[in-house]
Amino acid sequence: MKKYIIALFAVLTLAASCQNFLTEDPIMSQSTELTLSDYNGLNKAIAGAYSPLVGSVWYGAFYVLDSEMRAGNAMIPSNTNFQSGRMMTPYYMTYEPSSTSGLWGTAYFVISACNNVINAIDNNAENLVSSSVTTADLNNLKAEALALRALSHFDLLRLYCRLDGSNGEYGVCVITEPQLPTDMPARASVEESFAQVISDLTTAEGLMADNYQRGNVNDKKATFTKTAIQALLARVYLYHKEYAKAADYATKVINCGKYNLWTADEYTSVWGKDVAGDGGEVIFEVYGKQANGYDAYWEGPSHMTNPLGYADCAATAQLTGLFEEGDVRGTKGVRGTDDGKVMFCTDKDQASGGQLWTMKYYGKGEGNATSTPDVSNTIVLRLSEMYLIRAEASVNGAGSTALADLNAIRAARGASLLTSAGKADVALERRLELNFEGHLWFDLDRTGGSISYSDADITRNIDASSKFWALPIPKSQIDINENLKQNPGY
Amino acid sequence: MKKISLVLTTLLMAFSLFAQNITVRGTVTDATTGEPVAFASIAVKGTTTGTASGLDGTYTLSAPANASLLFSFIGYKTQEIVVNGRTVVDCALAPDAEYLEDVIVIGYGTTRREAKTGAVSTVKADEIAVVPASSVDKMLAGKMAGVSISSETGQPGSNSQIRIRGTSSINAGNEPLWVVDGIPVMSGDQSYFTNTNNAIAAINPNDIESLTVLKDAAAASIYGSRAANGVILVTTKSGKAGRASFSARAKYGISKLSNDNHFRMMTGPELYDFYKVAYANAGRNIDNYYDPSTPNKPMTNWIEEVTRIGKLQEYEVNAQAGTERGRFYSSLSYQDNQGVSYATSYKRLTGRVNSDYKLTNSLEVGTRVNLAYTENHDTEMQSLYYSNPFFGGLIIRPWTPLFDENGEYNQNIPENSNTNPLWNALCHGEDQWEKQFRTQAGMYLQWTPIEGLVFKTNNMFEGTFGEGIRYWGPDPGDTEGTLQGSRSQYVRLTTSNTATYSKMFGDHSLRVMLGQEAMRQTYASMYGYAPGVDANIPYFSTSVASSSQIDESRNARTLLSFFGNVDYNYANRYFFAASIREDGSSLFGSQNKWGTFWSASASWNVSSEEFMQGASDWLSLLKIRASYGVNGNNNISPYRAYGVYASSAYNGGNGMLPSSPANDLLSWELNKTWNVGIDFAFFNNRLSGQIDAYTRNTSDMLLNKQVPQTSGFGSNFMNIGSMNNKGIEFQLEGDIIRTNDFVWTAGFNFAYNKSTVLDLGDDEWMASSYDSRLRHVVGKQFYNFYLKEYHGVDPTNGDALFRATDPEHPDDESYYILTNDYNKARYIYAGSPEPRFTGGFNTSISWKGLELSVFTEFKTHNLVYIYEWRYLNADGNQMSMNQIATALNYWKQPGDTACNPKPVAGNATNSYANSTRWLQRGDYLRIKDVTLAYNLPQNLMKKINMKGAKIYVSALNPYTFHDVNWWDPERGMEGMGWGIYPHTKTFAGGIELTF
Repeated sequence: MKKYIIALFAVLTLAASCQNFLTEDPIMSQSTELTLSDYNGLNKAIAGAYSPLVGSVWYGAFYVLDSEMRAGNAMIPSNTNFQSGRMMTPYYMTYEPSSTSGLWGTAYFVISACNNVINAIDNNAENLVSSSVTTADLNNLKAEALALRALSHFDLLRLYCRLDGSNGEYGVCVITEPQLPTDMPARASVEESFAQVISDLTTAEGLMADNYQRGNVNDKKATFTKTAIQALLARVYLYHKEYAKAADYATKVINCGKYNLWTADEYTSVWGKDVAGDGGEVIFEVYGKQANGYDAYWEGPSHMTNPLGYADCAATAQLTGLFEEGDVRGTKGVRGTDDGKVMFCTDKDQASGGQLWTMKYYGKGEGNATSTPDVSNTIVLRLSEMYLIRAEASVNGAGSTALADLNAIRAARGASLLTSAGKADVALERRLELNFEGHLWFDLDRTGGSISYSDADITRNIDASSKFWALPIPKSQIDINENLKQNPGY
Repeated sequence: MKKISLVLTTLLMAFSLFAQNITVRGTVTDATTGEPVAFASIAVKGTTTGTASGLDGTYTLSAPANASLLFSFIGYKTQEIVVNGRTVVDCALAPDAEYLEDVIVIGYGTTRREAKTGAVSTVKADEIAVVPASSVDKMLAGKMAGVSISSETGQPGSNSQIRIRGTSSINAGNEPLWVVDGIPVMSGDQSYFTNTNNAIAAINPNDIESLTVLKDAAAASIYGSRAANGVILVTTKSGKAGRASFSARAKYGISKLSNDNHFRMMTGPELYDFYKVAYANAGRNIDNYYDPSTPNKPMTNWIEEVTRIGKLQEYEVNAQAGTERGRFYSSLSYQDNQGVSYATSYKRLTGRVNSDYKLTNSLEVGTRVNLAYTENHDTEMQSLYYSNPFFGGLIIRPWTPLFDENGEYNQNIPENSNTNPLWNALCHGEDQWEKQFRTQAGMYLQWTPIEGLVFKTNNMFEGTFGEGIRYWGPDPGDTEGTLQGSRSQYVRLTTSNTATYSKMFGDHSLRVMLGQEAMRQTYASMYGYAPGVDANIPYFSTSVASSSQIDESRNARTLLSFFGNVDYNYANRYFFAASIREDGSSLFGSQNKWGTFWSASASWNVSSEEFMQGASDWLSLLKIRASYGVNGNNNISPYRAYGVYASSAYNGGNGMLPSSPANDLLSWELNKTWNVGIDFAFFNNRLSGQIDAYTRNTSDMLLNKQVPQTSGFGSNFMNIGSMNNKGIEFQLEGDIIRTNDFVWTAGFNFAYNKSTVLDLGDDEWMASSYDSRLRHVVGKQFYNFYLKEYHGVDPTNGDALFRATDPEHPDDESYYILTNDYNKARYIYAGSPEPRFTGGFNTSISWKGLELSVFTEFKTHNLVYIYEWRYLNADGNQMSMNQIATALNYWKQPGDTACNPKPVAGNATNSYANSTRWLQRGDYLRIKDVTLAYNLPQNLMKKINMKGAKIYVSALNPYTFHDVNWWDPERGMEGMGWGIYPHTKTFAGGIELTF
């Protein structure tokens, strides 16, 4: 019996020493814990956090193109048989909780990726610093995370919330800490949402070194730099109607010396570049490439706006008819013949009877319209917008640069110079300059504008009180989270 | 004369030497073989005097002349012989037929049949050994109540789907745990490219001594977190003391497609006429499309051309011998199974050494080593590929020739995307294979320090090392091929250590077992893909294509367990058993690594009660059993509990992104099972059987639950669902006639099972991951077909009619309106592929050396979905494909009903699209195997110095009764498999010689 007891003890001792035996860490992937435990992992976690921006629900296509469709700059061409059947919801305005933008999930995914990094740096800064990693390195990383988090919250705010001040209690869910699947956050107010975005951006601006540039990237302008943060702040302050601050930040960017307005001669040939390069107008863009984990492929903007591709997203006559003679932004031609020379093209065979498509997503030449779709970058922030922000701030009482700012742009586009500048002039100039870059819908939203026009297919009347200015939050999310309230009207 | 004098002498001595010890000599032999039995015990009844027989079976003993001698040996009936003054007393021991039946293998031990408290089914080796099936799992169909064996495909070497008492899981597995010689082993499909490669197929069925299926929680819970789907215990043969033999077996057989319903495609003239009508119905003239001489062209029966008579051959030698101290069994076998489809084959080589040796009186060691090499070849199947002979071979029109005018394989087959399936199989089939080495090597050491106490350590190494290739040679005219290759390795180490104490005191009998087990399994694989390899040197090194890629996968899992059980019985009347197991697993969340599983059971042997003694002449056994237990299902892939980052490419670099959320609470699925049963036997065990009823509640089912996307993820893998299986099982066996020369036995088993899904978390239904036309629905069965409802043909005009929701009674399914618009048709839950009743009959008749046995198997109330008909019965939608012959039964004139809609060339009405039209009742009764064997007479064998010779013929699946308009009714558990390799019939003959 003694032996028996000894054997039993042996077994129990074995058990105690075997707790490690039951720990098998993943081999082919990296645990969250391990990823966030050193600078290298955190750095990669931020490099990766940019990648969903190029997904099809965001800058990879539909965040931008759908808003052009809603606002009346874009249409599904009715006189061709090219379309793929995509983009019906924004064109016919049939948004419902069960049929709405999927940005909600993607943006919160990026926010969670950023929160993991911010949380790890805040809680473990002393251990992360080493002989090769300085506090400044960590600050730059955290600034990038904060800026990405701000952009994500801000884009959610623009899409799912009213920006004109009405329905102020329906902001976004402000998420600043890693979440458990059981957490059921409620929506913050629009004011609180703005406050978080501004706080993240100003903190990021303070943390990031002036000359910080993320390394090991193809396109330097597809990462946050200090001026990119300032440019985004200028836009956020404008949306928030803090005009003096908006003008202030726009001026910082205009005067920083890194960017210059494209000239009328080069304007038509700057689209479709693989990387933006130094100088020029691009401040921050999203990088298109089929090798990207989130490549939208057939749904990428260059295929959607290619008359030989899916061709679902053509330009409306309301837009193409706005340009005066000589304005390089309104030049028209034939795809395949006038590539790089004009901003709107018909298809090569004129099969669609003169229907025009934008050339802003001309593509990098890495595909074609049949076997492999082409890719292109999507510009998020560029210099002319800074002039336009400052001009709008000016017509709203902050400074007096409006006329000069608008004319600076018009001069660089071959358009006639204005003699006076009011709110309507600024709004028109924004549409002329920034069409197909995803601005018009949100501009109308935040300024209480409305849309009223007809074309061959639809009649659109969206007045300032329409529910559509705030798109519905996906139904599945409302169903799961009892604290999450749907927007009024859905 | 000699005999008479001997008798006289003996009689005289009996009188004169009364009560004096005499020396008795004799030989102990086996009554059936006549072989000497060594080490048999010979005792003088009522004394402690005794001896043992020598190797030649002889003994010498001093005993009173009037003594009774007791001859006994393991596996034989004890025989009592009165000496009666004789000096020579020979004894022919009769093998104890009930000896093997009486002891059944259970988890971590054995029990007598009458002592079992749980629901257990067993199959003995001789019931399965001669069936011409490639693996043991295939041989079990219909043999045990509640054990449902099914397979989608009839391909040689393929995997089976085994369901013990129904299906219980959506995202963890449904296959039982296999335990070979006491060690839980790897099972399932471990191949990379070939359609299937069954791990259990690496065991030579002839090496198996017995097979036990543990069905309820009482029997299976000792296997804890892996026991939810039942446990199959395999015990391989070991040598027997006192018997030495050498056997050689050979088996040869042929196989062909099963087709007992005369399923066929149209002949050329039939198809031409069908097309003609279809064109006419579309207002067109066939002369514009086909030469009027078409029906007179030479025709090709494509299915006949792409299939062949399959061949099966099997050779084996085995040897066994044993003394009281040491025993061994070893075998070497080779099987080559050429399928009915060109390029499909399965080869297997196995070698086994089982040895047991008593080092001292208290110490025993033994080994169980099995080595196997398997080689599988196949071509693209299991889907509607043009290269699949069971799709391409169906759709090619009969007037399309197999060879072109130059005698080359015709490649101009536009209706099959210019793919000649026969050429493809012959040319590419050799280049798609999986070769595997499999090892199961175990050793045990058993120490019995005092009587009744046994320590045992049992350790096994298991490995599967596989290599696979899928090479697509260049199409005619090209020079470059595409190569895919794989290397994979599974390694598992297991140590299992137990201490067992058993003791009888008075009427009390007690057994206590404590044990510990640890397992670690690793997996590693490499996969390569290279287009543009040189067709003359088709290896990776000749590819220069930039799209070549290589991928690697690795994982590891561990399991640590502590367990114990207690068996107690009083006077062989009241039995109690309880078990408990603590399993710690690397698969689960940090807060749920350990789980406790247990069971309790009791049985009452009513027939042993005093008050039943009066019935003992007709009632041999009556036992009532009840059990309850909790066990688990941990059958998920590793690392599901971890929050993980994976790399995500962007902007020219590789970043990291969260790829799955952490789930610290992730845990096994839980099964709680009640079982009650009755065992009975009548008329001196001539008629015996058992009845079991059970209800099994599965909870904590692993499902992807939607979570707020504000957490960063849309869903999380959580333990949320629940379902129930309940059923009844019945098994009956009887000896109808039993005389010395003539024995006729029969058996019957059937099982009823019904599944009900209780909770799916957020959802009322979920699409099955197998196919979205199958749904799991709360309140319904596990699998439900979800399809648009077809009504039938419109007798007025020959259109297809569908049922649509009646707008006046939108919520009452019994109301409907008819529509010929498929898009308006309503979806309904149309039934389930799960059978309600399963079972089998068997009977065996033996007369002298001749034995005939027949096994049948049946399933009822299951639906199958014939997806292929979408193309093969397409009402004119597929005007370039051949159609099934029954498509000729179409609407011809007003008033026609019960037929197909009228064919219209270019038909776009969707009459042929997915709907209930393609559902058929899948009930079948299959004559599973029939075997006729003849054992040559012993006396004849003795003359040529052989122990035995057996010749037999056997048929597998010789006939199936069913109503499915297809080759064979079986389509797997999901009832859907399409483009599959149909089941085959095999006829084999063999010979078995024992020396």
